[in-house]
Amino acid sequence: MDPMNYIVLAAIVFTIGAVGVLVRRNAIIVFMCVELMLNACNLAFVAFARMHGGIEGQVIAFFVMVVAAAEVVVGLAIIMQIFRTRRSASIDDANLLKN
Amino acid sequence: MIPLSLSETTLPTVTTQAPDLDYWLLSPLLVVFAAGVIGVIVEAFVPAQRRYSIQTALAMVAVGVAFVLTLVQVGALPADSAGLTLAFATVVVDRPSLFFQGVILALALASLLLIAERRDGESAFTGQAAAVPGSEEERAHVLAGSQHTEVYPLVMFAVLGMQLFTAANDFLTMFIALEVMSLPLYLLCGLARRRRLFSQEAALKYFLLGAFSSAFFLFGIAMVYGYAGAVEFAAVRAAGSSGGLIDGGEPLLLIGIAMIGVGMLFKVGTVPFHNWKPDVYQGAPTPITALMASGTLVAAFGAMLRVFYVAFGTTVAQWRPMLWVVAILTMVVAAVIAVTQRDIKRLLAYSSVVHAGFILTAVVAANADGLTGAMFYLAAYGFTTVGAFAIVTLVRNPDNGAEAGDLTQWAGLGRTSPFLAASLGLFLLAFAGIPLTSGFIGKFAVFEAAVAAGATPLVVVGVLSSAVTAFFYVRIIVLMFFAEPAENAPRVLKPGILTGTTVGLGVAATLLLGILPGPVLEHVIPQPAAETSEAVAAEHTAADSLFAR
Amino acid sequence: MNIVPLQTTAAAIGGGETATFYILGSIVVLAALGVVFSRRAVYSALMMAVVMIGLAVFYGINEAPFLMVVQIVVYTGAVLMLFLFVLMLVGVSSSDSLVETIRGHRLLTAVIALCFLVPLVSGLSSIVAGEPVGLSAGVAAAGGSIPWLASEIIYRYVIAFEATGALLITAVLGALVLAHAVRTKKKRTQKQMSMDRIRSGHPTPLPGPGTYARHNAIDMPALLPDGSVSELSINPVLAARNPEDQHGVPEDMRYSIGAIPESGGRPDAQASNGDEQREDESSWTR
Repeated sequence: MDPMNYIVLAAIVFTIGAVGVLVRRNAIIVFMCVELMLNACNLAFVAFARMHGGIEGQVIAFFVMVVAAAEVVVGLAIIMQIFRTRRSASIDDANLLKN
Repeated sequence: MIPLSLSETTLPTVTTQAPDLDYWLLSPLLVVFAAGVIGVIVEAFVPAQRRYSIQTALAMVAVGVAFVLTLVQVGALPADSAGLTLAFATVVVDRPSLFFQGVILALALASLLLIAERRDGESAFTGQAAAVPGSEEERAHVLAGSQHTEVYPLVMFAVLGMQLFTAANDFLTMFIALEVMSLPLYLLCGLARRRRLFSQEAALKYFLLGAFSSAFFLFGIAMVYGYAGAVEFAAVRAAGSSGGLIDGGEPLLLIGIAMIGVGMLFKVGTVPFHNWKPDVYQGAPTPITALMASGTLVAAFGAMLRVFYVAFGTTVAQWRPMLWVVAILTMVVAAVIAVTQRDIKRLLAYSSVVHAGFILTAVVAANADGLTGAMFYLAAYGFTTVGAFAIVTLVRNPDNGAEAGDLTQWAGLGRTSPFLAASLGLFLLAFAGIPLTSGFIGKFAVFEAAVAAGATPLVVVGVLSSAVTAFFYVRIIVLMFFAEPAENAPRVLKPGILTGTTVGLGVAATLLLGILPGPVLEHVIPQPAAETSEAVAAEHTAADSLFAR
Repeated sequence: MNIVPLQTTAAAIGGGETATFYILGSIVVLAALGVVFSRRAVYSALMMAVVMIGLAVFYGINEAPFLMVVQIVVYTGAVLMLFLFVLMLVGVSSSDSLVETIRGHRLLTAVIALCFLVPLVSGLSSIVAGEPVGLSAGVAAAGGSIPWLASEIIYRYVIAFEATGALLITAVLGALVLAHAVRTKKKRTQKQMSMDRIRSGHPTPLPGPGTYARHNAIDMPALLPDGSVSELSINPVLAARNPEDQHGVPEDMRYSIGAIPESGGRPDAQASNGDEQREDESSWTR
């Protein structure tokens, strides 16, 4: 097996996540799909790190996890704030901004 | 004896000691960071009534000091080299990065003046974000005069991210800077005092799309890392000319460029990725909109120029077609949509999209003139747009004190408040690119660079797009000066000293850069050492020579 | 001489890894599809956990033991749990309506996704990377995988590392701003509360609900000695939510006591009450 298979897997998971962002309308699920995409990126970084024999990929994956943790806090706080106001986490209901 | 194996010939780098950090070179970043941290401590320990004055003073002093330090550093840069690098070349201090940082700090100061403005004790921000809009609790907080002074540390962190975004010299630092810049802005978008539901939804939309785009950016970085085996811009650049580490790894580079491009184009808001801009600009508190429209745009283009000119400087042929398409789409589609807008903030948002398209033509040029043109354009546009949003904060609905966004209400404003209308008129003329305003010089510089790089069709589209957008800018001016005042005429607030300063700054910069662009073009913006050459390759080196690597 | 093959065997991809890749890889892809297409948000979150743990195993295989642990502890253990907390707050049973609101939106998404995926996968799978170099050389030089990772994070990327500090402060500050409400009124003291209580005319505690008397539902009213319903025994919040059920008493109880004031409650509504409430919730979380 060629190590590029890991990258192909990462690309597939990334695409599934991107599709999820586009089709789902519950903000929490949409956000979860973004996390899925970040995870796919991490897999690619780790696999590339092994391919090249350098640790940089793992370092980046580590930083991505830190960033994701901070992002989750902010994102869920925003989602909760909206939920408290309109009792719904659907981004379809959040349509005041639709033109 | 152990024979040399493959892994020993390419021994991986193991860092064994801490970098010798030059804190003097980092000082502009450190000052802003420190102001943010101290601001958080102030929130924790200072009684609520005294926070406002301490926080505003702290933020403004910090940004001012950082600005001065940046200026001093420009003078202290060695004349013979492009610049210096720090901490294993993860951060760079060169003329373009210092220029962008200086512009960002100046624009942040102007936006801070708007953020700090209060009328009858009311700022543009909600008194209590945790209270549900329209609830009894919210009323109690409004009556008690609650305020969120946490806004200031958040703005400081956003500014820190912007500064670092333009100075990052590898993709990892750049990604972190992108997040440091974006996270506070997601939060700040949702804190408007009026129409809070609207504002919260803008925050949600900005957050979800922003996270989506940074995932693309990250996947692009992963692909480029796979191609080059490193994320430093210099290493990626070297790999671009040598063919990468993996045999036949060309697709990795192409996918990487495309995905990183998507992430960047989202941040600057060009056409397939522009959907967030009108909604977020409209929903966010106007001072924050001013900060986003000026500072974020400058930072994003600063980073984009560095990525495409340095990291992908040897693979111009791969990314140029993509940016061509995006630039044309942006200039055409956004101009057409802008004509139909009825709300001033949405109109300014679409105008910002169109301007991003114009600046993109300079990026496409990929030569030294393109770089300097884009730098001038960004500075000019930044000050003009901050001024324009400052004026938006002054025109309020007579009944509830919310901003009067509807353009029909702005009719006849030239008769009732001539100074305000004249300033806005000047800004709109600058957006349209009328001579004697900064917008004209900027457009001229950008289009000239694009023509020199052989992108004449782009320039033709750009000029046509300018004509279309000029139409609606002029239409607003006509509306303001030659129409009868509307029935529901807005109440125009008297600009306080803070907002007045911002408007004045915008007017002064727009006129000064329009009438006397020479000093700025010659002294402030770095000049390529090489003389203009016809050969494309020589031009590339000229553009790159401005960046330190 | 025999050290060299040792180094290269650590790098080569054997049959065991290939088998693991295909088995675990298909599980991860299926779970990822589950995240996207589960109707209920909780199922999505659980599928997400499967994906994350699967990826953690891949990290372990790819010589990243530290990241494997961090992935499980931080990502699955903390980040995903945060998601689950918020899902609980929003309503566990919140489900998405799968009705298209924009016509052709899903078809368009499918087309875009295919246009995206096909070139991506075909481009990537055309590349043959060959044997991975492996991290053993660097690990040996740095004295371990984790020391190597640490030195790169803290020495080389020190500025990015410090910048993440700003990121974390932002996150804390943001959560505080959006979630923490400052008190506007003065907190009532113990003394005030006791005075209010005496003045209210009901100084003793209110009667408890009939939870353990005949039923285990907290919205079951307690019965007074004369067999009448004690309205005070039910939390007003519950009563307010579905008043007519609260005053009704089920058939069997009614049978044994007889003398209950008729309040128009539906006797069998009690049993299905829980379901109804759940449906209520899902309709406003949709």
